[in-house]
Amino acid sequence: MYPQQVHDYLQKFFKENNCEIVQGNEHYMTVQLTVDMDKKIMNRPFHWQYIENTNGVPDPAQLTLITDQTKVSKNMKGEVVHFGSPRLSQIFHTTRELGACVQMYERILNNMETRPILTPWLGVNYKVSYYCDRTKEMLYSLGINLMTGEVINGFQESIATKELDDQKSERAFLLPYIIKPLRALDRLDTVIENLIQQEDHAWAEEAKSRWQKDQEILEHFYEEVEEKPECYELEKKAMEEQYGAKIKIDIINGGLFYIR
Amino acid sequence: MIIERSSEWKDGFISRLENQKPWDNWTLYKMSYEAVKNNLITDFSGLQSPKYLPNLTPLAHQLEVAETVISRMNGKAILADEVGLGKTIEAGLILKEYLIRGLVKKVLILAPASLINQWVEELNYKFYIPAIGYRKNTSIDYYDVVVMSMDTAKKSPHKELIYAQNYDMIIIDEAHKLKNHKTKIYEFVQGLKKKFCLLLTATPIQNNVFELFYLISLLKPGHLGSYETFQSSFSASKHSLEHDEYLRELVNQVMVRNRREETGIEWTSRRVQTIPIEFTKEEREVYDLILELKNVSSVFSGAFSMITLQKEMCSSKEATYLTLNKMRQNCTTPEEIAFVDHIIQKLMTLEINSKAEKVYEIISQANDKVIIFTEYKASQVYLQWYLNSKGITSVPFNGQFNKSKREYMKHLFKEKFQVLIATESGGEGINLQFCHHVINYDLPWNPMKLEQRIGRVHRLGQEHDVHIYNLAIENTIEKDILELLYVKLDVFEKVVGELDDILTTFKKTI
Repeated sequence: MYPQQVHDYLQKFFKENNCEIVQGNEHYMTVQLTVDMDKKIMNRPFHWQYIENTNGVPDPAQLTLITDQTKVSKNMKGEVVHFGSPRLSQIFHTTRELGACVQMYERILNNMETRPILTPWLGVNYKVSYYCDRTKEMLYSLGINLMTGEVINGFQESIATKELDDQKSERAFLLPYIIKPLRALDRLDTVIENLIQQEDHAWAEEAKSRWQKDQEILEHFYEEVEEKPECYELEKKAMEEQYGAKIKIDIINGGLFYIR
Repeated sequence: MIIERSSEWKDGFISRLENQKPWDNWTLYKMSYEAVKNNLITDFSGLQSPKYLPNLTPLAHQLEVAETVISRMNGKAILADEVGLGKTIEAGLILKEYLIRGLVKKVLILAPASLINQWVEELNYKFYIPAIGYRKNTSIDYYDVVVMSMDTAKKSPHKELIYAQNYDMIIIDEAHKLKNHKTKIYEFVQGLKKKFCLLLTATPIQNNVFELFYLISLLKPGHLGSYETFQSSFSASKHSLEHDEYLRELVNQVMVRNRREETGIEWTSRRVQTIPIEFTKEEREVYDLILELKNVSSVFSGAFSMITLQKEMCSSKEATYLTLNKMRQNCTTPEEIAFVDHIIQKLMTLEINSKAEKVYEIISQANDKVIIFTEYKASQVYLQWYLNSKGITSVPFNGQFNKSKREYMKHLFKEKFQVLIATESGGEGINLQFCHHVINYDLPWNPMKLEQRIGRVHRLGQEHDVHIYNLAIENTIEKDILELLYVKLDVFEKVVGELDDILTTFKKTI
């Protein structure tokens, strides 16, 4: 992420969370946090506990974030934020928390003659991570039609072009779902497992052979020792943790979508 | 295959379906998806860490080391770059990579006490890794990245506290301190689980090839076979071995080493001189008397004390006197005492220190800042006095100085005084690139100590050629030390790799 992208991201993030940007240009911003946002990103639980217990006046912080240090005056006081900085990862984390579950309706233009029918979908964005002594991650955006059970891959991209609102427009007609959302989630969970199974898992085999090689070396070292010392077991355990293959499935976010 | 899932999202979804919680913001939903998509690690290989560290510009060889260690050595390696090439940066890159990839969470870093702050600062400011320095009451359960001194770690109750943690990665700086498998610290590290492990040392062999064997056996037991098979396969004894090419190949599977000249960075050169010195007649007389001691009294029959006295006599009468006087107290017969007194009396009347005069000559010629390394505190004090009498200003430097005193002394040396006189323990962790003359007033037995000393000056940032003067007095124990240093260097070069000059290169004639 380039400084400009970071800047845009922060601006959007604070705007969506009702934090007013009181000052700034395209290289820095001074933002007045809300009480909620202060609690989320300022890491001062004891401060808030104190304010609340003493019925004090809430005093959410004002933050100055500099997104391009080379373009602001040297004397400017503020926190430099860039890709990889702890502050930005914290904001990514908060974004994820505040954008986890949505319910959205496709926007209906008023000049339509008939009442358009909107079909319910469950959309879920999965992150799949492969772990051994190395890692790789994949993103799957799956959607399931709650009427027909049809599943599509690339769901998020397919709705990106649509205008969505969090309120249903009066003229829209919503089809009730036949498949319950939780049942649908189970189905998507199965689909994702099948997708994983079809992938090439040479990585796990390779990790296993690295493991075996190290294991042989270790066995050779302790070959003559009848009663194996504690560190022998410890080494074996370390190898298991180092090379043992595992897959982690995370849901980034998901929601109900009523679309045409 | 194990598949892990979390039900966290599902729980949140259910609570919305049941109208217990409001639905979330659509823009944040999209931002979150985009952020994850942008930050996705799409490949098993390659480094992610550089793009997370826009303010750090690692050198090409440092990136290469990080990649090699992760992709070829599976995260267990000895980082053995020559001094001054940035092993800390390499370790930081590797650690950062594992943290980003989620393979490492808890990390223990062991370093000499004097380097703890430096580690904490570098990790925090250069790598955004929230490392903390361990103090007596630090509760290590709550901190993921802890930097601790080896001396603390190996002792109770800290030892037990560490064993109770589940560390994913262990990093050990100045790992040559683990050369001896009979030490407490070795045993302690052996008892640590090492899923990923980095051992940092510019000098994986200090005195003999077994040190490297034990170091590797700590990292990867069995890589060089058991002690017996290792010894017989390479006919290894302390200072010689066979099949060194094969051994070198094995070693290179777990060790990365960059040499200054290979890094593509412009390095100034080292100009090493061995300077032979002749004792005065009077000095020689005392030296010979000292050699006589072992025939006169059983107090002096121990090889160790004799060697110490000889070395001290090559250094200064002040150093010699302290030891001699202490040993005099163990003498019982009047003859013994009389003989020792005779030496002391001769010693005290010495007016010339040939070596110190040579030092004065070198400093005068250099007409520049100079560092002198000596093995003895008494010699340190003497040299300061002697140089002062010649109108040359100097500051002392010891490893025992606390951080602020070290900084102050360094400052004085940089800004005001011409000479810094350091004892051995002053060698670690100070960087003095503004100086380019090093006098090794006394020679240590261990060639890597010389390398460490020179490394204080000859490191990244040095703009001039560095002049090194190794002083050795003719026909004394110092000649023997010099010869042994060459033998040890030869073993090092055979197994570990070439070294920049430490001694002059007439070794072939020995």
